[in-house]
Amino acid sequence: MDMTPMIDVTFQLIIFFVVTIKFTENANPDIVLEDGKHGEIITAENQSKQTFTIEVSHKGRVSINNATCTMARLEELVKYRYSRYGSFPVMIRADYRTPHDYVRRVMDVCTRNGVWRVGFLAVQERKVKNAPRPK
Amino acid sequence: MAMKRQRRESENPTLDMTAMIDVVFQLLIFFIVTLKQEDIMSRLVATRPAADPHARPEKQPDLINITVHRGGFILRGTPVTYEGLDRQVQRYATLSKTANVIIRCTKDSPHRYLVQALDICNKHGMVNLSIFSM
Repeated sequence: MDMTPMIDVTFQLIIFFVVTIKFTENANPDIVLEDGKHGEIITAENQSKQTFTIEVSHKGRVSINNATCTMARLEELVKYRYSRYGSFPVMIRADYRTPHDYVRRVMDVCTRNGVWRVGFLAVQERKVKNAPRPK
Repeated sequence: MAMKRQRRESENPTLDMTAMIDVVFQLLIFFIVTLKQEDIMSRLVATRPAADPHARPEKQPDLINITVHRGGFILRGTPVTYEGLDRQVQRYATLSKTANVIIRCTKDSPHRYLVQALDICNKHGMVNLSIFSM
C-alpha cells in the first residue's frame, strides 16, 4: 500500500496545528459580556500589544487569561508593568452581572498605581451562535 | 519498433491529480470544521479620577450626573429608563459634547448598567466620561 499521500496529509495537518496553536486565546469562558454597540471596535491593529486585560466573573473571581489572580498579585503585576512601560491600556472584561463592588476593587488597583484610564469590553456584534448572552 | 512506441507514450503524459485532490479536500474539510466566528468586540473607555473610593466630585455647573444603581439609572436626581437616558444624553450632547459626564455607581449595581451608560455616552459622542464608585 502506498502510504505517501497519507503521510503528506498528516504532516500538513501537524504543521498547521503547530502554526496556529498560539492564536487560541484562553479567556474565562464563563464571562458573558454586555452589548456595547457604540464603542470603539477592537481590531488586531488598534489593540496595543501592552493592553492588560483583567477578567472579573460575576462571582468576583479576578483572573488574567483565565488564571485566578489575587488582588495582591494583581497589584504587583500592575505596579511592575507601570514601572516598565509607563501608563498602559487596561481593559476590564467583566460579566454583565458582576456587582460594581468587584469591578471597583480592580479599578482601585489600577488608579493606585497610576493607570487612570480604564476600558471596558463589550460586544459590538454577536457572531457566535448559541453562545450565552445577557438576559 | 520498441523505441517508436516509447516516444508515442511520452508525447501525451498524464498527471495524476488524485493525491493533490485528496490533500485539498482534507484541508478544505479541516478549515470548515475549525472555522469559528468570533464576536466583534468594542471598547468603552472612561477615566477614573480618584483612587479614593469615597472622594466626591466637586459641584460644577456643566456636570451631567448619572447614578447607576441596582435597578437602573438616575439622571440628575430623576430615575430614568434606558431609553429616557438615551434621549436626555442626546439632548445634552447637542449642547456640548465636552461636558463632564460623571457616572456614579453604587456597590451593588450590576456591571451591565455601567456598560449601558457608557455605551449611550459613546453613542452621542460625549468625550469626558468619569466613573466614581460609591
